[in-house]
Amino acid sequence: MDYKGLSEQLVKKCLKLGADEGEVYIESGRNLNIRVRNGEVETVQEAGAHGVGFRVFVQKRMAFSSCNDFSDKALEASIESAVRFAKNTTPDENNVLPDDKGITKAGKLYDSQISQTPMDKKIEMAKKVEKLAMKDTRITRSSGAGYSEGEEEIFLANSNGLSKSSKISTCSYGVYVVAEKGEQKSSGGEYCSRRFFADLKPPEEIAEKAAKEAYEMLDPQMVKTQKAAVIFDPDVARAILGGILSAINGERVLQGRSFLAKKMNQKIASELVTIIDDGTRPKGLGSKPFDGEGVPTQKRIIVDKGILKGFMYNTIVAKRAGVKSTGNASRSGFASLPGIGAHNFYMKAGESSREEIIKKTEKGLLLKGVTGYGIAPVSGNFSGGASGFWVENGKIAFPVRGLTIAGSAFEMFNNIDMVGDDIDLTRSFTAPTFRIKLMQIGGK
Amino acid sequence: MKFRGYFVEDIPRRRFLQMSLKGGIALAATPALMSELLSYKGSEKAGAKLALDPQILKKTIKRALEKGGEFAEVYVENRISRSILMEESKFKSGVFALSQGAGVRVISGDRTGYAYTDDITEEKLMNAAEVGSFVARGTKAVGPVDLKKAKRKSFITVKLPLEGVADEKRLEIMKRANQAALDYDPKIKMASISYYDETRGRTVANSEGLLLSDELPLLFFIVQTLGVGKDTRHMGRERLSRHSGFEMFDEVSPEEVARTCARESVAMLEAKDAPAGIMDIVMQNGWGGVLVHEAVGHPLEGDGIARKTGVFTGKMGQKVASDVFTMVDDGTLPNFRGTTNFDDEGTQMKRNVLIKDGVLVKYMTDILSAKQLKMERTGNGRRESFRYIPIPRMTNTFIDKGKDKPEDILASTKKGLYVQSLSGGSVNPITGMFNFTCRESYLIEDGKKTTPVKGATLIGSCLDVIANVDAVGDDLAFGPGICGKGQEAEVSAGQPTVRIRGINVGGSRARR
Repeated sequence: MDYKGLSEQLVKKCLKLGADEGEVYIESGRNLNIRVRNGEVETVQEAGAHGVGFRVFVQKRMAFSSCNDFSDKALEASIESAVRFAKNTTPDENNVLPDDKGITKAGKLYDSQISQTPMDKKIEMAKKVEKLAMKDTRITRSSGAGYSEGEEEIFLANSNGLSKSSKISTCSYGVYVVAEKGEQKSSGGEYCSRRFFADLKPPEEIAEKAAKEAYEMLDPQMVKTQKAAVIFDPDVARAILGGILSAINGERVLQGRSFLAKKMNQKIASELVTIIDDGTRPKGLGSKPFDGEGVPTQKRIIVDKGILKGFMYNTIVAKRAGVKSTGNASRSGFASLPGIGAHNFYMKAGESSREEIIKKTEKGLLLKGVTGYGIAPVSGNFSGGASGFWVENGKIAFPVRGLTIAGSAFEMFNNIDMVGDDIDLTRSFTAPTFRIKLMQIGGK
Repeated sequence: MKFRGYFVEDIPRRRFLQMSLKGGIALAATPALMSELLSYKGSEKAGAKLALDPQILKKTIKRALEKGGEFAEVYVENRISRSILMEESKFKSGVFALSQGAGVRVISGDRTGYAYTDDITEEKLMNAAEVGSFVARGTKAVGPVDLKKAKRKSFITVKLPLEGVADEKRLEIMKRANQAALDYDPKIKMASISYYDETRGRTVANSEGLLLSDELPLLFFIVQTLGVGKDTRHMGRERLSRHSGFEMFDEVSPEEVARTCARESVAMLEAKDAPAGIMDIVMQNGWGGVLVHEAVGHPLEGDGIARKTGVFTGKMGQKVASDVFTMVDDGTLPNFRGTTNFDDEGTQMKRNVLIKDGVLVKYMTDILSAKQLKMERTGNGRRESFRYIPIPRMTNTFIDKGKDKPEDILASTKKGLYVQSLSGGSVNPITGMFNFTCRESYLIEDGKKTTPVKGATLIGSCLDVIANVDAVGDDLAFGPGICGKGQEAEVSAGQPTVRIRGINVGGSRARR
């Protein structure tokens, strides 16, 4: 199907059916999911699908509709429902569509090799990573291994004459296993996700990490409720970055729903902290040539040596704030209105090695798992369940589980006193190992 | 695909964080927020009509079993939905969605093959049947039985059908809630009102000869209010959701929902730091039942049991909880958010007692896990949409009512935490470790609710928590939510006021 032509034609249709301005977002994709367990295929799921979202403005009133039926009748009905409803929403002069025709050179994001690789090879990969993870005698069960892939093409056109398209691919595989000892159970898992098939990590590396995560948490101990240092493993970066990401959402900032709302150009964290959002990194899992409404993506500094430097905006929120869109309109599919989101979001590497951070910690928690919502974007409060290892005199002493940690965002950010050099930029949301000098830990 | 555990939440959230994990393939993942892939009643369209033709369904099932396999199914779905957002007293957007599609599933031994299409044509269905049958290559085939239209008891009544409601009525409900929230207290600086409704049409046909269709309405109304104090701010939240017609708002007024929400926003502005460490908790009746939904419900789902990975594996008939603890999953509670007439595989909904007086008596199953475990089908085979295979899911899950008076439970607790409401939480179903975030909680001092405290985390292991429930009230109540297990399902969770001894609370200050 000529989706590009169709997207442009549908913009005209929006105008014809009564919209003053219109945007058409077509998504066409394909995905495959394979799950194996105990050396046997458990599920194979495969599908191709497409859908279209219409955003219309009628006298600056906004409405949106979507449909996945591409018959003329259904497309027209869908546009009509949006135009009709637009009469009910509140007019807002900030309701505008972008007109920037530029495209960011985000490098290669699509690998044709993925679809050309035979299914049986992909099944074998999942079986192999499972077999390798089960090799360790401490691992007693597999809770499944999997391979999945997807391809997606986006066609975006609007009544400002913008018409863009992009094509991306993703493939990933991984394994989840269980270690048991008496009545104890401990689970571990690891996966690897890439834009290009040839870049996937070898199964040995994935299997070893999954197995280790499971068995090394056996025989956990409980520590006393106390204040101590907390070392964040890269696997739990989300616990701290997630709160920052929500709080720099330009709309939350305008509405006063962010603990960072009034902190622009102020010190919010230790000077060791620099945070970047990058939509342009070649092969990056969060990279895109343009954002969810067609604005070119950028590489931006969000926090520079502890000073808050950037909020994130889509076109409408940017207009309301009196700034330019930062290329952070996010869509979670053709059926969603553009929101605000990050691309590749990370804390910049520091100078300490991970070993050194542990070595310099007299007493504290090496945090490997956090549960809960992370930092609350409105209040900046943080509280979560915690697991990992107890560190004593610069050495890992024993695993701990069932602890809690809590604090407030500013206290946590400002208390970051060591940042590691071990960043893995193939992840789209990441940080190196870093240490918070002192946090409240809840135990027995 | 990194394992996040199973989670449950009181409202839908934006998913871009999750999306980046999945590599940004939005089509492969779940669509967004309220604007979940919605669809429309395209019964007049050629496509939809064709799929409903039993001859084509029959042909598809036959093709699906041609290479082998013992069970094949076609699931056809269409959905029309609308979501409207009012924020800062403005109607910001209206989102309409029409979606349709069909999935073909083949089971052969422990293997499942699945393919779906959003074009409901004979050609595409045959193609999906081909792809779905990949897993059954070379196995013994079972011949399909002739399709026969089946009937199921209905637990959903509709007085005011959604399609007959003018948009103005929907907006009016939202305006009323917005006004009531802002009028509640000058400290309420903003209200956010989300309205969502959908009608989902389902047709299930399978090789056992089953043919079933129905149409389910769903309403989800969410009020959030921002309270601003001197140096504090708190977002309160209240939800109302049912499978019902628009009469829901006659039974519970939008003003009532808004005031409940605003009350929380204001009350929590005075919150102090929560204590940290192990303490007794009293949990108020209602949505707090999500704690057992996560901690106990997920580990009782048949897929984990069949894989022998769940914490309750091999514990059937054993004492797993305290004597006062009875837990039920009931998909038949009239018009509840977790209720349907039959599950997404066509099994009649039931009331399933899972743990009775502390003894494990039942697991929740779908067709596949029931077969693997040689147990009955309990009506828990559910799917988010035609894009997903059905898996064992909860419906309306609750701790059954006990004999204690709620006020006595509080009065007899000397010291601890009174949890008035929870947001959501998650569980690792293998280890049974769960966590929950409190939204509104208070210290208990000398048997009384005293100072409000900031959102603390509750964590523990499921087996410990149900063994340590020592008081169960007589005031059973429910709340609506969203449960995630690789795909989403609408659920209710409920409980009477209960006391749990010795839970680890994650506050930011050491206990006095």
